[in-house]
Amino acid sequence: MTDAKQDKTSLEERLRRLDEILARMESDDVSLEDALRLFEEGVSHVREAERVLSTAELRVEELLTSGETRPLESDEG
Amino acid sequence: MDDDLSLDLFGDDEPDTEPETEPETPPGEAEGAPQPPGPKVWSVSQVNRAVRGLLEDSVEPLWIGGEVGGWTRSRAGHRYFTLKDDRAQLRCVMFAREAELLPTDPAEGTQVRVFGELALYEARGEYQLVVRRLEGEGAEGLWRLAFEKLRAKLEAEGLLDAQLKRPLPAYPARVGVVTSLEGAALRDIVSVLDRRAPWTRVVVRGTRVQGEGASLEIASAIRALAESGLADVIIVGRGGGSVEDLWAFNEEPVARAMAESPVPVVSAVGHEVDVTISDLVADLRAPTPSAAAEAVVPDSQAVLIGLRRVPGQLGRALRGVSDRRRSLIEGRLASLARTMVRRFGPPRQAMDRAMNRLERATRATAQERRRRLGTVAARLEALSPLATLHRGYSVAHAPDGRILRRVADFPVDTTFELRVLDGTVAAKATGPLRREPGS
Repeated sequence: MTDAKQDKTSLEERLRRLDEILARMESDDVSLEDALRLFEEGVSHVREAERVLSTAELRVEELLTSGETRPLESDEG
Repeated sequence: MDDDLSLDLFGDDEPDTEPETEPETPPGEAEGAPQPPGPKVWSVSQVNRAVRGLLEDSVEPLWIGGEVGGWTRSRAGHRYFTLKDDRAQLRCVMFAREAELLPTDPAEGTQVRVFGELALYEARGEYQLVVRRLEGEGAEGLWRLAFEKLRAKLEAEGLLDAQLKRPLPAYPARVGVVTSLEGAALRDIVSVLDRRAPWTRVVVRGTRVQGEGASLEIASAIRALAESGLADVIIVGRGGGSVEDLWAFNEEPVARAMAESPVPVVSAVGHEVDVTISDLVADLRAPTPSAAAEAVVPDSQAVLIGLRRVPGQLGRALRGVSDRRRSLIEGRLASLARTMVRRFGPPRQAMDRAMNRLERATRATAQERRRRLGTVAARLEALSPLATLHRGYSVAHAPDGRILRRVADFPVDTTFELRVLDGTVAAKATGPLRREPGS
């Protein structure tokens, strides 16, 4: 609920995409233009993923019978 | 016990003071009727009721050990059986309400211990044990038996196959949890997730985890989470407890819900010594709820270390690409050069040949030009006025350059110039001589 308009790509997708990018760049048939583009994309994923890792806060929600969720306060730290 | 059941024990009882519990009392026998002479005669109902009161009031509920025989189940769900040792037997009944809590029905001959109270069934004059609890002998008894039965069933269906185990997502964004909202298990899971993977969204579906009907609740919680689409992986579990406390996780509904879940399920029940059916069906078995949380998410520190290596890897890969491109282009140029040599021979020869051809061509052109130039010059010469003078003609013209052609152009004393082959002379007309007729 607190994530404003920031990039919704999940960390998992970013890390998976990074694996893809590295594999693609190490393949024989990539053009230099594509490789440059992939490089830039990769760097942006790294930057964004680092930001997520350093600023994220765990969200705990309860799934209600209605199918909706509501934040669950942890009574103890 | 038999010794205590002599009739004089209830000699001063008033046998008919409880009218509500004597449906079998023959209506004709009015209590107030005058007694005929002779010994006091009791009705069968009176005796059975009296014995029943004696039995039920004087014997506290007790545990009895023995072997199960003649186990039957009525339509209403009550269980009837006898408890035996090598010399005697005792009729037992276990009513549906208690019987439903049994992990399984004991097989014929199973050694069990039962807890209950003795009661007398007046209609038949038989006494029996009304069983409240029934446990198999040995460490886990019936539980073990029930466990093995269900395990064999699920195994036969292939639900325990290793090939069915799905890998967990490497970096789940959302972790579903099915457990008690009040339990320590939830707190443990949340604290591990918070420490290791704070980017995670935890979606909890609270449920009872023990007691009657708990397995159905757990199963429907698993389904609700799976259907919500809010979980990439689901942890199902609770903290440690007795075999009985953990029993819900050994029941079929939970096993089925786990097997049907579209996302991987991690079982996290109690301490590691207790293996449950849930553990066997789940895609991964964790010994404790904390261990389950550790298993489903990567450690953020490890992820960060991996991430920091990526830019270097990207750079090396990019350099690799450009190196490969360069050597590819160089390779193509070299092969192009080879093709040229093959077609035109070594460069020096090709050059010589080309020069020879050029020279020949140039020479031929020059001769042709010279030849054509000669004829043109001859024709030009023929047209030149100088050529006419050559033949002996001369041209007269006035000092202003005007050409004098006719007699009329020469009045007497006109001075003019006469252009001859090698120069010009001054002249003067002395008078006309003759005019050609017709001009």
